Amino acid sequence: MDSNLSHRLKARALKLAHLATLFVAMSIICLPGLWIVLNSFRPTVEIMAKPPVWIPNELNLDHYRSMFGGIGEGGVPVLTYFMNSLVISVTSTVIALLVGMAGGYAFARYKFKGKAALFVGLMVTRAVPGVALSLPLFIVYARIGIIDTHFGMILTYVAMNVPFTVWLIDGFFRQVPKELAEAAEIDGCTRWQAFWRVEFPVAKAGIASAGIFAFLTSWNEYALASQLTRSVTSKTMPVGLLDFTSEFTLNWGGMCALAVLMIIPALVLTFLVQKHLIAGLTFGGVKG
Amino acid sequence: MAEVHLEKVVKKYGSFQVVHGIDLEIAHNEFVVFVGPSGCGKSTTLRMIAGLESISGGNIRIGDRVVNDLPPRSRNISMVFQNYALYPHMTVRENLGFSLKIANKPQAEIEAAVNEAAEILSLTPLMDRRPAELSGGQRQRVAMGRAIVRHPDVFLFDEPLSNLDAKLRNQMRVEIKKLHAKIKTTIIYVTHDQVEAMTLADRIVIMRNGHIEQQGTPLDVFTNPVNTFVATFIGSPPMNLIDGTVEAGHVVFSDGSRLPVPPRYAASEGQKVQFGVRADNIMPIGHALPPEEHMAELDMTVSLSEPLGTETILFGEISGTEVQAKMFNPRPVVPGERMRFQVTLDKCHLFDAESGHNLRV
Amino acid sequence: MLRYKLPPWLLLLLPAIVVLLAVVMLPLLLSLYSSFTSYRLTRPDSITNWIGLYNYEKALTDAKFWAAFGRTVLLLTVALNLEMLLGLGLALLVSKVTHGQRALRTMMMFPMMFSPVLVGFQFKFIFNDNVGLVNNALQSLGITQTAIPWLVDGNLAMFSIIFAEVWTSTSVFAILILAGLYAIPKDPLEAAKVDGCTSWQTFRHITLPFVMPFIYIAMAIRSLDVARAYDIVQIMTNGGPARRTELLWTLIGRTGYVDAKMGYANAMGYTSIFLAIFFTVYFFRKLTTARTELGMGG
Repeated sequence: MDSNLSHRLKARALKLAHLATLFVAMSIICLPGLWIVLNSFRPTVEIMAKPPVWIPNELNLDHYRSMFGGIGEGGVPVLTYFMNSLVISVTSTVIALLVGMAGGYAFARYKFKGKAALFVGLMVTRAVPGVALSLPLFIVYARIGIIDTHFGMILTYVAMNVPFTVWLIDGFFRQVPKELAEAAEIDGCTRWQAFWRVEFPVAKAGIASAGIFAFLTSWNEYALASQLTRSVTSKTMPVGLLDFTSEFTLNWGGMCALAVLMIIPALVLTFLVQKHLIAGLTFGGVKG
Repeated sequence: MAEVHLEKVVKKYGSFQVVHGIDLEIAHNEFVVFVGPSGCGKSTTLRMIAGLESISGGNIRIGDRVVNDLPPRSRNISMVFQNYALYPHMTVRENLGFSLKIANKPQAEIEAAVNEAAEILSLTPLMDRRPAELSGGQRQRVAMGRAIVRHPDVFLFDEPLSNLDAKLRNQMRVEIKKLHAKIKTTIIYVTHDQVEAMTLADRIVIMRNGHIEQQGTPLDVFTNPVNTFVATFIGSPPMNLIDGTVEAGHVVFSDGSRLPVPPRYAASEGQKVQFGVRADNIMPIGHALPPEEHMAELDMTVSLSEPLGTETILFGEISGTEVQAKMFNPRPVVPGERMRFQVTLDKCHLFDAESGHNLRV
Repeated sequence: MLRYKLPPWLLLLLPAIVVLLAVVMLPLLLSLYSSFTSYRLTRPDSITNWIGLYNYEKALTDAKFWAAFGRTVLLLTVALNLEMLLGLGLALLVSKVTHGQRALRTMMMFPMMFSPVLVGFQFKFIFNDNVGLVNNALQSLGITQTAIPWLVDGNLAMFSIIFAEVWTSTSVFAILILAGLYAIPKDPLEAAKVDGCTSWQTFRHITLPFVMPFIYIAMAIRSLDVARAYDIVQIMTNGGPARRTELLWTLIGRTGYVDAKMGYANAMGYTSIFLAIFFTVYFFRKLTTARTELGMGG
């Protein structure tokens, strides 16, 4: 009976330790983000206060108001940046998805020589660090005159996202049994119809999540955008964040507000696809 | 060397109770089979004995130790799982020796035990393969080998054959029975297949909805089912149960046909009952086994026949209930043919229609 | 249909290949070429000025380059290993929870969604010696009276950067390892328990081998964009103070855009590219081996 009791006590102690550790870990994960959100509502005086003010006396929308309040007076053209980000991210995502679907389908359904090598080859292009790529891209874009344009950024992001969408979509198509398409063909579909009417709808959720992953990459990208965009016409939000810094001061509150604006679409989209995203990554990877 | 005792063992998930206070004593070296439909609590009970599920109430003893809160490793049991549960990243040899390695046994001892197990299960030529390179039957043997190397007090089998095809299943069934004869250990075996239960068990424990319905030797539960559930669950084809009413020493069916109340049975006048007869005990005259002491006769129209070779199964209907009968020395039967059947009353049963209890006195 | 019959797989892959050739390979060839010249942004004609391997010699004999190189490798090694261990721990913690796992999983993904620049700013703010959360907290709790110069002291700055980097990327590991944990069939784990394993032994002999391919997937994914750390460093310290957090990538950026020495920057860029490719190929290899071991090849 004694050893039964000690085992029970040990189990209980372990459970407590587990919950405590989990709580600490989750706090570390969530606090920085919450801190940013909180500060976007606090007046600058309070942010800068010494000794620090822990319990906010006043919360207001001043930073948001001034952020959307037009140029001049330190106002940053946030709406324009937002639109730039949106146009560039959405367009490049759609194109990357189409290209990725074609490529992913090829990897999932066809056998050919050098498949593995080609796959790693595609992946490797993604591994090229943004800074290292931005130098020659800058030269090329400047030469052909697409620097500081939406088109230039879209092209860049398509290239950046294609390897990843190919990887993900390959995984999703592989989960669709080959027999489905074959059955459709026997039922009278052409290969093309079989794809659009059977295989695509089955893999749709996965493809959507690949799209969201691509969108987030473009939405968040900085290294390339910071060099390839120069002015209000094409600057994206990550680059725009730097507008809040000047030589010696930083407008923390305003920055936090823009940060919140950036993070909200990302969070919403992530909620929508988290499950498929994990499934896609692991499936593509494990059942290679 | 161990008996297993269950005393009022209960399992609840939240407020949902799946095992309702089971009492059971299993003797040393006994081969006990838990059988029942899926969801009857048989696997849960086994897993509580293994220590893989906590118990919500009652006591489990293995040998003279109460093991309620002990982790599986302290119970000296071994288990064969439905999906084999082989470690895919280890070779057959490593799989077999894993438990001994974990127990820090000396290398020589591990090797001896592994080789012995491999010998018993003829796994010797497969020792350096990985599970992925084995066939279903081979994997099953490795799983059993892994269980025997430890010389456990109790052997637990959780539906070990359900993933095999019919032919392999028959083979492995024989091997398990041989194994038990060789290693002489208490075995608790869970299955939903009554044929496995009948062929393997010293004692069958029939479970439903977290209760034990009946326990006994295979022959005992076959010939003396305590209720309609056991009667239809054990035996193939299942026992025919025909609704009827007791009138003047007979069971009268709704289509007007009647059979006498079987000997040693008592039912009150007008009682709603179910008349139980196995296919082996209702046979067309001229194609039957020699008659016994109490016989009766009955007409039935045959709607379908299934020739199996030495016998043919005939399908007919009595008062809306499908009845299966057996025919020896078969001859071709035309669907719609009306035949006269003899019923061996000594082997028939009467159940209360409401409670399902056997009405034998 | 096509007159020249391309095999269908090539046809399907063609758009991907063309885009990558145009936007990645071509510029890289250009940069390879320019790394053999004395090209400066301010003097476009200098691109024809062939100077052979001079830039590479210069880089390889430049102490600043090697310092940045070493620091980059150090950062990657420390950060990736920490992320792996913490991710594994986090995944195990979450997998053992009985209620609210979905919510925890979603929370766990938060940091992944933050733009690296944002992470940079966020931690620049949090580690700010004057108004940052960390110093405020330490001072309010009375642990220290003076403001700790998190981003100004060289070692502390490196620590802060690694902290920020680990904060964003641990979730990649945690999420994927968690997926791996879910994918482990229950039977071998139970078999191990019955075979006499303690929790630690079960983890060591069963769980870990099963989860290994997932760790390599995470490593492979991470190796594809380790250079994201550039954004974080760029914002938090910009390689400072006095180049004590200078990484290969910030050094390249500074040489190329600030000093306008494009040829030289490209030469250094190539070393960083090879570093990245090395990591990527290495982990994809590991991944393949790990999954054949588990018989997941098919």
